[in-house]
Amino acid sequence: MSDTFSYLLMAWMDPNLLMLTALGTFAGIYIGAIPGLSVTMAVSILVSFTFSWDVNDALALIVGIFIGGVYGGARSAILLNIPGGPSSVATSFDGYPLAKRGEAGQAIGLSTVMSVIGGLIGTVVLALAAPLLGDLALKFAPRDYFLIAAIGLMLVGSLAEGSLAKGIFAVALGAIIGMVGMDPVTAEGRFTMGQMELMGGIHYVVVMIGLFGVAEALFQLHNLSTQAVKQKVDKIIPSVAMVLKFLPLSLRTSIIGVLVGVLPGVGGEIAALLAYDHAKRTVKNPTSPFGEGAYEGLVAPETANSAAVGSAYVPMLTLGMPGDAVTAVIIGALVIHGLNPGPMLMVENPHIFWFTVGNLALANIFLLIFGLMGIKLFAKVVELPKAVLIPLILVLCTVGSYSLNSSMTEVYWMLGFGLLGYFLKAFGFQMGPIILGVILGPLMDSSYRQAMASVGDNPVELLGEMVSSPLSLILTSALVLVLLSNTPLFGWLKRKRKAASVQP
Amino acid sequence: MLKQLLTGVAFSLSALTLALPAHAEYPERSIQAVIPWGAGGATDNVMRSLAPYVEKELGTKLILNNRPGGTAVIGSSYVMQQRANGYTLLLGAENPQLYPVLGLAKFDYSDFYPVNIIGQNVVVIATNADSPFNSMAELLAAAKEKPNTLRMGSTGAGGLPSTVHAMVNAVGELKVREVTFGGDGPGITALMGKHIDFMPLSLAAAQELVRSGKLKALAVLAAEEVPELPGVEPITKALPDIGEYLPWGPFWGAFVHKDTPDDIKQKLVEAYAKAVANEEFQGFLKNYGAQSLNLNGAEAEQFLKRWQSVTAWSMYKAKAIEISPDSVGIEQP
Repeated sequence: MSDTFSYLLMAWMDPNLLMLTALGTFAGIYIGAIPGLSVTMAVSILVSFTFSWDVNDALALIVGIFIGGVYGGARSAILLNIPGGPSSVATSFDGYPLAKRGEAGQAIGLSTVMSVIGGLIGTVVLALAAPLLGDLALKFAPRDYFLIAAIGLMLVGSLAEGSLAKGIFAVALGAIIGMVGMDPVTAEGRFTMGQMELMGGIHYVVVMIGLFGVAEALFQLHNLSTQAVKQKVDKIIPSVAMVLKFLPLSLRTSIIGVLVGVLPGVGGEIAALLAYDHAKRTVKNPTSPFGEGAYEGLVAPETANSAAVGSAYVPMLTLGMPGDAVTAVIIGALVIHGLNPGPMLMVENPHIFWFTVGNLALANIFLLIFGLMGIKLFAKVVELPKAVLIPLILVLCTVGSYSLNSSMTEVYWMLGFGLLGYFLKAFGFQMGPIILGVILGPLMDSSYRQAMASVGDNPVELLGEMVSSPLSLILTSALVLVLLSNTPLFGWLKRKRKAASVQP
Repeated sequence: MLKQLLTGVAFSLSALTLALPAHAEYPERSIQAVIPWGAGGATDNVMRSLAPYVEKELGTKLILNNRPGGTAVIGSSYVMQQRANGYTLLLGAENPQLYPVLGLAKFDYSDFYPVNIIGQNVVVIATNADSPFNSMAELLAAAKEKPNTLRMGSTGAGGLPSTVHAMVNAVGELKVREVTFGGDGPGITALMGKHIDFMPLSLAAAQELVRSGKLKALAVLAAEEVPELPGVEPITKALPDIGEYLPWGPFWGAFVHKDTPDDIKQKLVEAYAKAVANEEFQGFLKNYGAQSLNLNGAEAEQFLKRWQSVTAWSMYKAKAIEISPDSVGIEQP
């Protein structure tokens, strides 16, 4: 027991580790804020860099970057409408409207506090229920992944403002973009037109940078003369009353984050989108309508993606399996340092587990400090004259796209998607559903084919399994419910019930 | 000031003349090393572990660069397109040897110069610890009794599981449902969750799970027991005929452009040979469940040729590929 405590507090007591965690968190926030510079990339560079270090030092730095980076993506999402990473896509839906209203400071302040709450919940869950959650993750069969992806795609109902038809078109377009490249089963090229460069597919981050960043920059050229909104920066730290008000929602979305984060191959980006959808469905009277600057629309994805960090460590620490791209790299780091990540890690090297838990908690505290620092300055970014802001956005987009693979191909893609996004925007299409399709399309494709292959390509058997296994049944019911709630039938029933309750 | 400037010019001029016999001073700057697989994967782990020892031998930095995608087609073809000056290395795995027969690309490793074949991995046929099967023979019998019901974890055409599956089918019969995952990790997770029945895996990926009793190793793809997994029967016990393809395993190697000047090739070969032989790296390989090969020159070329021929022909025999190895210049083993 005393051992556990000493491992838990290791990072808190050792000034060296304390410094590295702080440094990692600080660097992570800014790496995460630049679209295209991802946590995965930063961590994999660090792995070579920290080769000769003590493994604890390396892990402390990595944990800091992970926590800081996931949060940092919200900064650019709120200020510039460019999600810094895939897990902040949902943050931009309401974060950017808030900035346009002059409330960027408050938005960043709230997102910081909520990220920390989500992050701490994720850490506590990791500490208390890691083995349990690890076993739960194993219960998910390919068909369950398919159902999750399908539920995720239903989000189009809440993302498509205005026209559902346009939303569905956008999701389908995104799904097709996501399919480009080598077929995962047969290794044939899909939509590659014989081009070798396309065999690896189109990186979804490039699509994201193009559609959000470049398209936004181009679009702003339309209103060059409009004055930038003056940002209110007097009250950036949210009041206790405000935090308490959003606490029930943030607890619910943290649970979504934890559950989605624990699944291998599904991470913060999907957790954040599902949480946003959950908020939109359950919050009756948001501070503003969703999509126009509702604080709830900011709280939900930010708690969910931060909570997903802690649980992404679960499969890694209990089974030696990566929970997402970042933990995959951390597993590599452990291997290089001569540790054997696997089910025995917790038995043979228990310090790694408790050290990680303590470290995650510490990084979240640093996040609170660094996150609330300098907000006033950052909020001013929105007030920059367009002549400075637009080139700045384009430079950031180019750097981010190039650094993905250190190649110009990605930059050209980004520009292409920027133009496409500009025209789609001009014709009233939303960017969110396209990204939704890009992220979920390939997951749905591969999990559907896995599920079908598992039952020998017999769809009847697959349908049977979808309602006979308890876990699948829950997911199937959720899917049906979400689907029905998007149809006119549901609205009609609701109105009828309301009318009935009013009459007597 | 003027004096400083003049000395500066003089120095740069002398540097220029020194640089004239071009690569005499190789390496005079850092070397870009392309890993055509994602960060955190097996190839990435091996190459990142080896890099510091290579850097020490060469006296320069290796800038490791992951360029994943398309079963390593993207990264490998990138290296082929770079100048043949020894400043771009390809640190890859076995996959390009199958590009011609899979129709993935027109090149293979014969279009590169092998600096070092670093090591290879042992393959195990793994199932869940609670699986009713206790040997390869039982698995084969169950598949024969009810063909196309057992679910095998796969990583797609050209991946390790489907290649091993083809080898088994070339000499025996193993009709299964092939469930394709995005890599070892998701496949192993499904295996632990009992969503699939078995999966051929590299020992590097499976050893910790076998050791902890989450997975059961039915057989190793070898002609005799391997020291890395004592007590696990060799696959030849259930399938003696597969012996003609053995020894076989997925491998890792370092390559440069074919047209690289000979003295640069020589420097790289020497550096890699020493780095791979380094005791610490050997310890890493052993811990990782991999076998050291450290081959270069004619030995490496022969290894690559045999590997390609054995694999391609067994796949063709099992009808796992349609392109005849003959038609792309791969001789019978």
